[in-house]
Amino acid sequence: MNGVLTTCGFCSCGCALYIEVSNGCIKGLFPSVNHPVSTGRLCIKGWSLTSSITCADRLRTPLIRRGSSLEPGSWDEAISLTVSALRKSSSNFGVKSLGVIGSAKMTNEECYSLVKFARSVLGTPNIDGSCRFYDASLIQALLQTTGIPASEIEISAIAKARSILIVGANVRDQLPHIGSRIEEAVRNGCQVVAADPRTFTIAPHVRLFLHPRPGKDLAWIRALLKTIIDRKLYHEDVPKMSGFSELCSSLNGVAMDRLNDETGVDPTLVAEAAKVLTEKSPPVVMFGLGVLQQSNSTEIVKALANIALLLGGSVIPLRGHNNAQGSSDLGMAHDFLPGYTPLSDSEAMRAWEQAWDCPLPQLPGLSAPDMIRACEAGDIKSLLVFGENLVLSAPDPRKTVSALEHLDFLGVSELYYTETAALADVVFPACSFLEKDGTFTNIERRVQRVRKVLEPLGEAKSDLWILAELASVLGKSISRDPVEVLAEVSAHVSQYADVSYQGLDEAWGRPWQSNGAKRKFAPVNGHSGGRDPEYPFQLIASRIHFHQQTGTMSLRSPVLSREYPEAFAELNGEDAKKLGLRPGSLITISSRSGSLARNLLLNDSLPQGCIHVPNFFAGDSPNRLASYECDPSSGVPIYKGCAVKVEAVK
Amino acid sequence: MVLAPANPKRMWGVTHDLGENLYLPKVAIIRGIVDETPDTKTFKVSFEDQGYAESFRWESGQFAEVTVFGFGEAPIGFASDPAEQSSFDLTVVGRGGVTKAMHQLRIGDRVGIRGPLGNCWPLEQVKGMDLLIISGGCGLAPLRPAIFHLLANRRDYGEMWLLYGARTPADRDFKYDFEVWRQRSDIHILETVDEADDSWTGNVGVVTTLFDQVDIRGENAVVFTCGPPIMIKFVIMKLLRMGFSEDRVVTSLERYMKCGVGKCGHCCINHIYLCTEGPVFTYQQMQGLWEIRSIGVEDLGCDCERI
Amino acid sequence: MKINGVAGALILKKSDAGIFLEGLGRDFRIIAPRRHLMGDIMFGAIQCPEEVVWDYGHDLYPPKRFFLPHYENLFRYRYEAGGVELEKVKDAPQQAIIGVRSCDVSAIQFQGGFFGSPTVDPYYKSRLDNTVLFSLVCNEPPRKECFCICCDSGPYLDVGFDVQLTDLGDRFLYQIGSEKGAKATESVELLLTKAEEGDLAERRRIEAHADSRFETIGYLAKAIIFTSENRVPEELWEELGSTCFRCGACTNLCPVCTCFTVEDRKDADGYFMRCRSWDSCQFSGFTREASGHNPRPTFGSRLLRRFYHKASYQYILRDGRHGCVGCGRCITCCLTDLGVPTVIKRVRRELPEYLEAQQKEKEG
Repeated sequence: MNGVLTTCGFCSCGCALYIEVSNGCIKGLFPSVNHPVSTGRLCIKGWSLTSSITCADRLRTPLIRRGSSLEPGSWDEAISLTVSALRKSSSNFGVKSLGVIGSAKMTNEECYSLVKFARSVLGTPNIDGSCRFYDASLIQALLQTTGIPASEIEISAIAKARSILIVGANVRDQLPHIGSRIEEAVRNGCQVVAADPRTFTIAPHVRLFLHPRPGKDLAWIRALLKTIIDRKLYHEDVPKMSGFSELCSSLNGVAMDRLNDETGVDPTLVAEAAKVLTEKSPPVVMFGLGVLQQSNSTEIVKALANIALLLGGSVIPLRGHNNAQGSSDLGMAHDFLPGYTPLSDSEAMRAWEQAWDCPLPQLPGLSAPDMIRACEAGDIKSLLVFGENLVLSAPDPRKTVSALEHLDFLGVSELYYTETAALADVVFPACSFLEKDGTFTNIERRVQRVRKVLEPLGEAKSDLWILAELASVLGKSISRDPVEVLAEVSAHVSQYADVSYQGLDEAWGRPWQSNGAKRKFAPVNGHSGGRDPEYPFQLIASRIHFHQQTGTMSLRSPVLSREYPEAFAELNGEDAKKLGLRPGSLITISSRSGSLARNLLLNDSLPQGCIHVPNFFAGDSPNRLASYECDPSSGVPIYKGCAVKVEAVK
Repeated sequence: MVLAPANPKRMWGVTHDLGENLYLPKVAIIRGIVDETPDTKTFKVSFEDQGYAESFRWESGQFAEVTVFGFGEAPIGFASDPAEQSSFDLTVVGRGGVTKAMHQLRIGDRVGIRGPLGNCWPLEQVKGMDLLIISGGCGLAPLRPAIFHLLANRRDYGEMWLLYGARTPADRDFKYDFEVWRQRSDIHILETVDEADDSWTGNVGVVTTLFDQVDIRGENAVVFTCGPPIMIKFVIMKLLRMGFSEDRVVTSLERYMKCGVGKCGHCCINHIYLCTEGPVFTYQQMQGLWEIRSIGVEDLGCDCERI
Repeated sequence: MKINGVAGALILKKSDAGIFLEGLGRDFRIIAPRRHLMGDIMFGAIQCPEEVVWDYGHDLYPPKRFFLPHYENLFRYRYEAGGVELEKVKDAPQQAIIGVRSCDVSAIQFQGGFFGSPTVDPYYKSRLDNTVLFSLVCNEPPRKECFCICCDSGPYLDVGFDVQLTDLGDRFLYQIGSEKGAKATESVELLLTKAEEGDLAERRRIEAHADSRFETIGYLAKAIIFTSENRVPEELWEELGSTCFRCGACTNLCPVCTCFTVEDRKDADGYFMRCRSWDSCQFSGFTREASGHNPRPTFGSRLLRRFYHKASYQYILRDGRHGCVGCGRCITCCLTDLGVPTVIKRVRRELPEYLEAQQKEKEG
């Protein structure tokens, strides 16, 4: 069979690629040359895509808990058990005892249907998605500034940038297409200012590389804002923009003389950064998980967006999941509806109530971490989880496991038998994106087609089918045809008004336009953070080249998993020497929430006082070191900069 | 003396034709298992197909790609007496995914065999010469077939010395062979361990500490050596100082392998495919392979121990 | 039908191309450039002659995949206590690939030699035996990254092809270069007429024109000397290697590269499939041993490995030619700038400067 065009399921660059299948076996995979992002190129994850998905241990039948073990069962039984559990919780304890957590890997049709299912079929306000564990803080922050909670420009435009500010993102390893465009820009004279505790592979192309300590970005970015404003480096029209004076007053507390002590960044470097970005303005401002998973991440994102607004530049939030953008656009969140409809916008809410024929709450429900806490407290009785391995992606797995075990009912839809699936009462075998039709939205706001290449493995079903079945048994209607669902989305979600299956068969999707979003400044408040003397190291838990998130897919590709055969953590050589730790030895990293063991490697590009722990090795994750004390404004757990200590294993 | 011919296009004219499809394994059955050391086992294996077994021949130093069904393939050297035709030994350290799975197998289980692959110890070329065999740890396994051949054809060769070092007495492979060989008067055997236990009365120290006891002259002698990289490094250094020339030191190299038939590219060192033109080389031949950075490097030898 | 040089070439009218393909289609599965969704033009199986895009440039996904597939099943097996069941899996249909460029033909010839000796890879061999290549001369280098002229692989071939077509406007010059090509032509010979002097003159004009139009240069000669003798400073390899994105695209898309990995994958019904798929020497896991030791631990050592394999006299002696056909795919698909010409240029020009700088450092 000739190549079928689909979209990569790993990161949010959204490369288009063709997959050739013959006799039900994948024969070939190659990038589209005409696609504006892939341009005939893929990264190693893209090239290894199919072996990550077609691994032998894919779930092929529903699993039902009988006694203490999960055993193969039928779809009828799985659906009816789920429905009766949901009904029971709802009637005994109310709709707030139900919770739904989705994944940023689902298609747009599935994301929308999940939200509709939770809010209109189940009637619960407790709906959230995987973005809550990664990049959700950018949504409110960008809505309050650029008005677009997404990249403002296309990836290809990066190559023409005059200057770039990139904070907290190992862009060359994690989003290679963006890293490649940055290099192209540098070859054309672009000046790059980068900031991260670690020195990344982008370093040779960077004009100025700042090294703040982990968790200390807000202070130096506020200092940068203050420098630009005090020196009047902005365009003369800027003070007329809404929010400018509030921004200025919010920066009154910035103390340049204490900056170096607090953050590790000297004010002279901040001044130089301001100079570079204004001499070669407008800048493109990018930021990634290094910033998005810190405490006060919302303030940091607002601050960075303000910089772009002051200098007439654009913002690109570097999101991870292939459909992080789509899941956000379509309202997979507890505090807004599809199209970023605020719950407080009564007119828009009435329109949704009409569209879905159900009442909708005016107050937010629980975020994903709060849902898990509520499970432990007994406030949530039944939880459905679609495609998110909570035990590894949420903090403090002891707490997560105990919370999930506390539930009356846990239903999980998954590709593989993950740690979360192991706790479920019912496990639905899900289709991968190779086995279904749908759409993803990439970081550029471009809606793109996902086309079915393989028949579903075993009895696997798409999440859309599962939701439609559940809804139908509950007496409501959700279409199981993705074409119909997208048509409904396009009818009700203004950003998706121009999107259709037919259109996507004729031309590449165009980035959606936000209607009338005005750019304005937002005030940025500072914060004080103490250091914990008992836990003197700052944790950097990150993704790593060749792998994605918790590695459920990427670890199953033999070529990808071959690259890092052993779980490791990295320390600066001096720190290791001070602690008397030898490279290659086993060390324990612990926090107030948990601990894990890793092999020690030395890496002098890490600053002292930090420990880098990649988060994809099977069965354990450094997220366990973080606690459920999440960032209050965004609800995202604090994975970057959390306090830990490091010791040899006795 | 040239072992692996410079012409890479030669067929390995030794022994067996791999058949019409060189990727298809032949099925063999495990007849016996010996626990050599805590991490090493010897599997005695014979082919299911009697006719194939009768015509199957291999030479000392060769290896087979062994399939552990359900897991994959690993290259394992033949470790028994090549004159013994009804079965052969595969001595395996359980380190990677496939070899660890192999260690779970039991008598009667089946494995797949593709082979024999690679070249062999130059037993023909060294006839009439004195032989110094130096090995350590699991490096004795690839040499064991050569030792059997030499002992069976003793009159064709000169003096014979066997030096063997292990980490501890329990980590010595083929302890039962040593008991038999020590009964002979036509082979000098010296053993050593890095760490002794109460039962050990022999030498303690690395294998080079045995060299003083070796009475052998360089002009008519050749060395076969195989063992952990660190051992090879010091052994070769010392041999060259003792006056052995580079073409009189022969070793067996190791690399990660996949296909074993010179196609997949994993085992290449410079322009040679270790699986077809090696793994046995003289030190002189290795000089032309500058990817093996000189004598100071871990790339030599087998790696039963991590550096 | 006989093998003929340019002088004895034939003519196939473009208006007869449809009938030509139908004729071939009776004996062969036809693979030719076709328009995929969104306009990407790549080789694919053709259902009807109208699908063929004759004025295509170059396919980024190399036709080596029709001989050494990206993913291929070697055999499958099932095992239980009683025994092992082994089942060969082979598919090698008769196929004709139309429109292959000279660079790819040279590469396939190289690969045929590699897989054919000293031992024979039966999968590659059966596909090669069952495939006829109808290659197309490049009247212009199809992409600005092309440099086949530096590698003796194009834009047209004198030998080493089955059938070579040259686009002369409303007709093709049709040259038969092998027995296989001659045999395949028998079913369509009635469509062919003898070429005349005007046709041959047009061909000569096209040759000269194409030769003059290359933008990319990759003179391998000096680089071959330096890599063969390992005279390139390690620092240069490390510097270049550190820029690599480690995506593996260069080796995947290189029509000459042959490295693969093999694994046993569980299939349905208790069967296991032994599959092989393209692998790359640019990954650290390519040579890492079970103990963790890696003979090529740094990016530089792996980059050196790739260029040694492509351009060294040891490999030229071994394989009959150097390992680059100048197709330029490694330039196009690279996320940074590590295509063959860039590296070759650095190796050629920077060596004396490095030596000089080292000297100055020692003195100063």
